[in-house]
Amino acid sequence: MTIPATVPVLGWAWDDLLFLGLAGILLGAALLVVLGRDIIHSGLWMMLCFGALAGVYALLGAPLVAVAQVLVYVGAISVLVLFAIMLTQSKAGPLRLVFHRQAWVAAIASIVLFALFVVVVAEGDWPQRAAEVTRTATDQLARLLFNDYVLPFEGVGVLLLAAVIGGVYLAKRDPGQGGSL
Amino acid sequence: MTSADLTALAPLLAVLGVAILVLAVDFVLPGRDDLAVALGVVGIVVVGAVTWATGGGVDGAIQSAFGGSYAVDAATTFLDLVFVVIALITLLVAPDYLGPRGLPFAEFTVTLLFAISGAFLIAGSADLLVLFLGLELLVLPGYMLAGFHKREGLSTEGAIKYFLLGSFSSAIFLFGLAFVWGFTGTTRIAEVAAALAGGPLGPGLAMGLAFLTAGAAFKIAAVPFHYWTPDAYQGSPTPVTAYLSTGPKVAAFALILRVFVESLGGIRAEWVGAIVVLAALTMTLGNLVALTQSNLKRMLAYSSIAHTGYILVGLAAFAAEPAGDPSRSGLEGILFYTAAYAFMNLGAFAVVSALQRRPGVTSEIGTYAGLIRREPVAAVLMALFLLSLVGIPPTAGFFGKAYVILAAVQSTDPAVVALAVLAVLNAAAAAFYYLRVVVFMFMREAPEGMPPVGLGGILRERRLFLLWTGLAAAGVGTVVLGLYPVPILEMVVKAAAALVAPG
Repeated sequence: MTIPATVPVLGWAWDDLLFLGLAGILLGAALLVVLGRDIIHSGLWMMLCFGALAGVYALLGAPLVAVAQVLVYVGAISVLVLFAIMLTQSKAGPLRLVFHRQAWVAAIASIVLFALFVVVVAEGDWPQRAAEVTRTATDQLARLLFNDYVLPFEGVGVLLLAAVIGGVYLAKRDPGQGGSL
Repeated sequence: MTSADLTALAPLLAVLGVAILVLAVDFVLPGRDDLAVALGVVGIVVVGAVTWATGGGVDGAIQSAFGGSYAVDAATTFLDLVFVVIALITLLVAPDYLGPRGLPFAEFTVTLLFAISGAFLIAGSADLLVLFLGLELLVLPGYMLAGFHKREGLSTEGAIKYFLLGSFSSAIFLFGLAFVWGFTGTTRIAEVAAALAGGPLGPGLAMGLAFLTAGAAFKIAAVPFHYWTPDAYQGSPTPVTAYLSTGPKVAAFALILRVFVESLGGIRAEWVGAIVVLAALTMTLGNLVALTQSNLKRMLAYSSIAHTGYILVGLAAFAAEPAGDPSRSGLEGILFYTAAYAFMNLGAFAVVSALQRRPGVTSEIGTYAGLIRREPVAAVLMALFLLSLVGIPPTAGFFGKAYVILAAVQSTDPAVVALAVLAVLNAAAAAFYYLRVVVFMFMREAPEGMPPVGLGGILRERRLFLLWTGLAAAGVGTVVLGLYPVPILEMVVKAAAALVAPG
């Protein structure tokens, strides 16, 4: 059986259908992360969010980025976030979210901004619009990363080192402080 | 990588080298704060020497490295030297505050130096990707430094506010960069400038410009994007406040020079209006709120917001220049002002920090009553820094204000001329709250039973020696930039010429 060139009935390209599906999952999961009451559930929805984003990367012809996204974000970072939540969660915390007082204003601002984006993206004359997705080969990526973009690449290393040192300092228990964990 | 690349990167590598050296020494010999102080201070002086020796200020040549993603020109070197001065004075002042509170100095030095390396990356970036990375490397250690006094609630609260709003604004800025990339198809600053030259402003780029402006305004704490500033500045340990009010601010202006002036300079007619409004709001609101403050740290926080407004006047003066061959006096004003501001603001915060050397002493204005009789030298220095912040000749602050205001007066745009008038009015109003502190120091009697500050044992205590060296450095800078600004002016003119090529 062969797959038809476009989506039956709708007449869209398959890529568009896949993108719409992934974007829908991504946005829905993101909303659930923000709106959920249970922070552990939020963490789990975030994993779905990361997974859908990996799909978008793959669709855009960046399989290496997609794989890295799955390995690093879905695999490592989500687990780390869940661990951090479970280790630090306090039962005495407020059940309702603290920042909900300005929800209406925020909602109106978001809707206005969204409308603005729709107009801009639809009307915008994007000179760099690509006719079709081109695949990025891994060796090309490596060449760029270690030649033209070696400075940002190394810079990220320094950034991570600074973040680790800062994080360890802030999280470290002082010798004089009693054990609370 | 060639030797030319290495020369261009030398200041960056030097500052990272010092940071890692301090880290390694602290790992091998933990708890030796004196060693960390010595390595940090000597190291940053070496970094300054390396910057001076390899920089673009020497022969005016532009060294470009890594396929044109990093470039050292006269502007880079000038800004790098300002960052070195900021780091040096902060490192000199900090031990006397951190020591009595039991805060470790090695971590402080390392984090500060990482932040400075980020500032170097911003100053030398010729690529928007490098620029954003530099921004992150600058602000991330800043969040941590704001919360450095982690047992104190105010410090943690300020750090959280700074962190949340700071990361949000970084995301906004990055979103703006993405729009610029989408419209021009390149991240190289020179290529972005070439792609935008002469073209009309499409809706996509307008959106990007709006996001970039909002993100940058957050970083320089311009009104109405300033809400994090007073809390972050008041909550942080005072030497950290001294750094936060100068380092990230000057670096954010470096970012504005690279993004708005260098890459988006061709379409400056599109963003001058936003800058004029931001400058007017920032000066006026910063000064008005500062008038009502009784805590000196909070007052200086609002004053630093007002100074952001004065620097923005210089940016508006440049942006209002007609297309073609613009006058660069606005840019020269920005660069000179950043150097003057660094010295006088660091100095003022250093005195606040010195008076707080005993844990528990607040920075309320009552602490300063009768200071002239208790600590005469500190009182005179504080008066010098405050007069410079007012803009009274012959101090650095006077020349800075005069430079940006004159640039704005000469503009052909009536809105910018009006902005210059507003800046003068603001400077006059600001004199009130600065001079109120001077009145407290010189004319009020100290209340009974106020403990001595104890800044006298300069030769007995190494920490005090460092503190006084830092105060002296800030004082000398403030006076020299006011009395004999010619060498700095020459550097500034060269730096501005590097930012906007003539013709």
